[in-house]
Amino acid sequence: MAPGTIRNEKAKPKPMASATPNNELQGLSHLGDGGADDRLRMRLIFRILVRCLALLVPVRKHVLLLFTGFGTLSLLLLPLGLLFVDTLWTRVLQGNPMLEIEAEFFRVPIETATRAESFGPELRRLVAERLVIWAAILSVALAPLFIGLYYYQIWILQRVNQKLRVDLLSHLQSLSLRFHSDTTVGDAVYRLTQDSAMVTQLVQVLVLTPLTAIPQFIYSVVVIGLFAPALGLILFGVVIPSLIAGAWFSQRMRTRFRGARETNAALTGRIQETLAGIKVIKAYGAESAEAISFGRASLKAFDAAFRARNLYAVYSMSMFWLFGSVALFVTALGTVEVMQQTELAATALGFTIWNLGLYNYFKARLGGSVESLKDVFRTWGRAQDIAIGLDRVFEVMDHAPEISDRPDAIRLEGVHKDIRFSKVGFSYQNDRPVLSDVNLTARVGTITALVGPTGSGKSTLMALLLRLFDPSSGKIEIDGVALPNFQVESLREMVSIALQENVLFGNTVRENIRFANPRASDQQVREAARIACANDFIEELPDGFDTLLGERGSKLSSGQRQRLSIARAVLKDTPILILDEPTAALDAATEQRVLQSLGQWGQGRAVFLITHRLSTIRQADQIVFLENGTVAETGSHDTLMKMPGGAYRALVKAERLAAEAAAR
Amino acid sequence: MSRPSPMEESEDLSHGETLRVLGRALRFVGPFRGRFAVKVGLMLLSLLPMLMLPWPVKIIIDNVIEGRPIHDPIRPYPDLIAPLMNSLAGYSPYELLFIVIGFQMTLFLVIGAFGTAGSEGESAEGYLASGYDTASRTENEANAGFSLTGGLLGLFDFRWTMRLTQALNHHYRTRLFGRIQTLPMTAFDDERIGDAVYRVMYDTPTITNACYRILLTPITAPLHILLTVTILGSLYGDRPILVYSALAFLPIAFFATLPLAGAVRRMSGQSRKAGATATSTAEEGMSNILAVQSLGGEANQRDRYEADSWDSFSRYRDVFRLGIYTVLIGGIPAVALGSYAYFVAIDGVIAGELSRGDFGLLTTYFFHVVASAQMLGSLWFSVQASAAGLHRVFFLMDMPGEIDDPNAGELGPVSDCIEIDRVDFAYPDGTTVLKNIGLRAQVGQMIAFVGPAGAGKTTLAYLLPRFVAPSAGQVRIDGTDIAGVSLKSLRDQIAFVFQETILFDASIEDNIRMGRADATDAAVREAAQLAGASDFIEHLPQGYATPLGRAGGKLSVGQRQRISLARALVRDARILILDEPTSALDPETESRFVETLRALSRDRIVVVIAHRLSTVRAADEILFIEAGEIRERGRHAELLAIPDGRYRRFVELQSGADPTISKRHDP
Repeated sequence: MAPGTIRNEKAKPKPMASATPNNELQGLSHLGDGGADDRLRMRLIFRILVRCLALLVPVRKHVLLLFTGFGTLSLLLLPLGLLFVDTLWTRVLQGNPMLEIEAEFFRVPIETATRAESFGPELRRLVAERLVIWAAILSVALAPLFIGLYYYQIWILQRVNQKLRVDLLSHLQSLSLRFHSDTTVGDAVYRLTQDSAMVTQLVQVLVLTPLTAIPQFIYSVVVIGLFAPALGLILFGVVIPSLIAGAWFSQRMRTRFRGARETNAALTGRIQETLAGIKVIKAYGAESAEAISFGRASLKAFDAAFRARNLYAVYSMSMFWLFGSVALFVTALGTVEVMQQTELAATALGFTIWNLGLYNYFKARLGGSVESLKDVFRTWGRAQDIAIGLDRVFEVMDHAPEISDRPDAIRLEGVHKDIRFSKVGFSYQNDRPVLSDVNLTARVGTITALVGPTGSGKSTLMALLLRLFDPSSGKIEIDGVALPNFQVESLREMVSIALQENVLFGNTVRENIRFANPRASDQQVREAARIACANDFIEELPDGFDTLLGERGSKLSSGQRQRLSIARAVLKDTPILILDEPTAALDAATEQRVLQSLGQWGQGRAVFLITHRLSTIRQADQIVFLENGTVAETGSHDTLMKMPGGAYRALVKAERLAAEAAAR
Repeated sequence: MSRPSPMEESEDLSHGETLRVLGRALRFVGPFRGRFAVKVGLMLLSLLPMLMLPWPVKIIIDNVIEGRPIHDPIRPYPDLIAPLMNSLAGYSPYELLFIVIGFQMTLFLVIGAFGTAGSEGESAEGYLASGYDTASRTENEANAGFSLTGGLLGLFDFRWTMRLTQALNHHYRTRLFGRIQTLPMTAFDDERIGDAVYRVMYDTPTITNACYRILLTPITAPLHILLTVTILGSLYGDRPILVYSALAFLPIAFFATLPLAGAVRRMSGQSRKAGATATSTAEEGMSNILAVQSLGGEANQRDRYEADSWDSFSRYRDVFRLGIYTVLIGGIPAVALGSYAYFVAIDGVIAGELSRGDFGLLTTYFFHVVASAQMLGSLWFSVQASAAGLHRVFFLMDMPGEIDDPNAGELGPVSDCIEIDRVDFAYPDGTTVLKNIGLRAQVGQMIAFVGPAGAGKTTLAYLLPRFVAPSAGQVRIDGTDIAGVSLKSLRDQIAFVFQETILFDASIEDNIRMGRADATDAAVREAAQLAGASDFIEHLPQGYATPLGRAGGKLSVGQRQRISLARALVRDARILILDEPTSALDPETESRFVETLRALSRDRIVVVIAHRLSTVRAADEILFIEAGEIRERGRHAELLAIPDGRYRRFVELQSGADPTISKRHDP
């Protein structure tokens, strides 16, 4: 799915107090205190689980195949299982004559086997032999099939997990920088790894367990009811208190599960942040302070996990105590029935009175019902955790990105005339604006320099052009069409930027240059490097263009990184080029070369140059002087220099004096 | 992407190395010996009731339903049970039923089981759902709580165990984290942060399985077998074949798993590595989200992550397949043996030597022995995956870090000078960065390193706080070689401002206070003032309490730079080192800052690295560095006077590049 494309349709209305964009993170579970109120209720849990079914759609063929496989094998085994169990317990061990089917199956003479007198030890031994051999062969033959199906299941669920991970990452990439600056990287990683993994348990929770356990329970209850209705009723009656108890536990469990996830995500975030800032930590001797913080966070995570799991264990055991004691009670009653050899309520099953064989079957059914209840409730307990994990994934996925395409957005095919900012204003929070009433026009084929003190809004203006944010007021137009009319992706394809902080990735030099344009040829990469005056140092690196850069590109000097950034921007070959302090880290000589080279290459494009170094401004056709978020002055260098009392003039003078003094 | 960096350990461990790794892991148990002993005790305690479980069922079948009197069993009771059984001799079946059910209820409460069937018992455990990849399974491992029984005893055991597991894991991972922090800065150049996060969060929990298997299984499994076999033996002594066939599962399990032990170890390691790579890719993309969005690299990052993620899933399946192979290999002899045993038991019933109750008992005990035997036999195999994870952790722990010499002295407040004496520096791979550097700076001086990009200025600055150590020569402060003082005391004397601004997810105040933990509010504000940051901070709605968000993302680059300057200034250190401190500042702020530096340098040593002449000009001594060597040194004017001097040429280029300066100095 292409980045930045339509997501807003899926935005779930959030029940938040103040729904301004700046409070977008309320309710997002990242606070690590587990105290986020339990927004989930039973039906919402079901909604989450059901929503995940949609994730199974791409793999539905496989799922179908899997179920067919399991289903077939189970159907095969069920009657066989019944046959074997009955033969063993009732016939072989107890000495009762066999049923015709059984005799046929085990190839023993029917007349002798089905009559009590002739069904003697010899015959029993023979049947036993055959039974055991058959069981062994079937195990050996069918086990690989079951294992194979299980492996298949794993593969399918991994596919589903993979899709969820990639979708989540994709969505995270499309979210605004406001979102990202309020969340930690570690939290995002936790959601990608741990929370999304919960989707693999869906089949278990939504399909397998309910489909197998509930029918089994009902079947067992019915059978026992046929033996003695009272017993059946008692057994069935345990369901109601179980559900009530289950509900009581569920909410508490959910809160604790959320707490466990949040604290662990916070811990992950802490580790990441410490390592990312390790330089500063070392420089300021903060290692022990960080270690203590880490220890505290680690303990917090463990405590939360303990509380969660402890409650889960207590819940499981409590539920089991509940139906286990009822089962024990029912067993006792059943035993009494056997001792008294009572008549069965339903004689249709072939027995008329309670006997040992029936008793065993009764116990087996009782056991089966308890097992199924155990299954259901244990799964339900786990489902709470699964739901919380998935909720954490979906709450990010449902977060509408600030910037998304309108349904009627068109592709931006080219920039031919100009870029116009009209009365543009912007603020991060609802307070002091970073930009207000900015008006400027940049024509294709010109270089526009944005000059001004730090914090005057230069970089922000460019971020608006890239549509990383939308302006709070005013509009930006390309060739007379406002930006929101274009598909974001197509817009960004028309702009390339060399950022102020030269971000490089832990990849080869070549891959870094190709970052925005992965399909560029080696020839093009080389050419871009040449234009950025970077190819000389690249060729001196141990592996040339294939040299692996460390994380954050840290093996190179800042000047080298800057030129790589420029090469990357150049390679994208776009009509609009933004250079944000492109030569800050370069010495004068290199800077000259780069600017000249860029000047030539920039002909026919709209170039924005952000700087407060006057030496960089030489090539600009138009200088825009920003101060406190507004345009103080606009014009060519000469025009501005003629303005009496002009801010630009003052700046130039100040720097000139300094430079002259330096030259003396 | 092919050549492994020095941080990647080899994935193949020999069997011997594996043993060493496991042994080392066990040493972490040391502080928790007592708790482990209690756990062993609990497990042993749990065995007894388990062995008693089949009896109520047998009594019900044989004595209650079938009415057989207690004192006349088909087979004599084992010595352990006999007295208990005999005490029940006189009761009627109904009374027996009542007693037995009562007993079962008690048992049920205490150990959570009233019979031997699966449906009649449940052991306490707290395992939550996990996915089909290595990382998502680790939380269960890190918080492993399990018990052989359920009920009150089981819950207590479970809680005890979980706390023990957590304590062990906490100990282990805090140790790892502490070690990682001591790694030299250069280690993080090549090492990917996501991989380190993976090791701390997802590789450390492997210690759980390793320790429990090695410490608990060899005690409890044989005991379990012994107990069960004794009972089996006394009950069915004339069919010892059953016992032998149960015990035979040990060698079966052993030989079925041994050949694949090395493979599972290797593949587990690879699976972890793949997971770490995927984590790294995600981490890198997420922490540089601005760049990713601006540069339009979303598709690129996503594709990389997709490939890495699927790779980790595949490798997980590889490990899983190995498990399948062991099942298949060991399955056939196991099924054969089990069938045989079953047949022997059935035969006993047919022959009238065993009751049906006995049959149930016998088969149950048989499988108890089988389970324990298998656990013992596959012990080596079951710790291999853990060994792979442990190896990854130890590898990182063992990397040489910045450790103080045990005899290191303390560096007091700097009063005199810093000296760099004939220092060379080269990277481990041989690249020379600095050659024969010599310099001296006095308190009260400001010196500047100037030169073209890549000349080694930053590396030179890194020598002072000992972020890197010289390959030759000495660095001295107040006459003391800094190699012989503790790092903390050394770095306490230095305030370093890095070229790339790094801030943390905390308030502005807290970020500035990182420079000095005990700085007063007034000191913080003063530092901000000096750094030229107080203006914009005070204009923010929350002022100094404004949370910066991740890496200070809401402020402009210049604003962030000023905060990091404030952080350095609040430290009040005698040595102040600044690497391109003014690169993002406009000329006006810059000149104010330079004045501040001059003022500060009166009672400090200030070292500045800069390109910009306006910053450098004020220095008492300028060192012009090119290609790792100091070419020229002196005051600004002196250097300019050198005919055809390098510095002069450098300056000319700088001012020559200024469009506003013409040769006539026309205002």
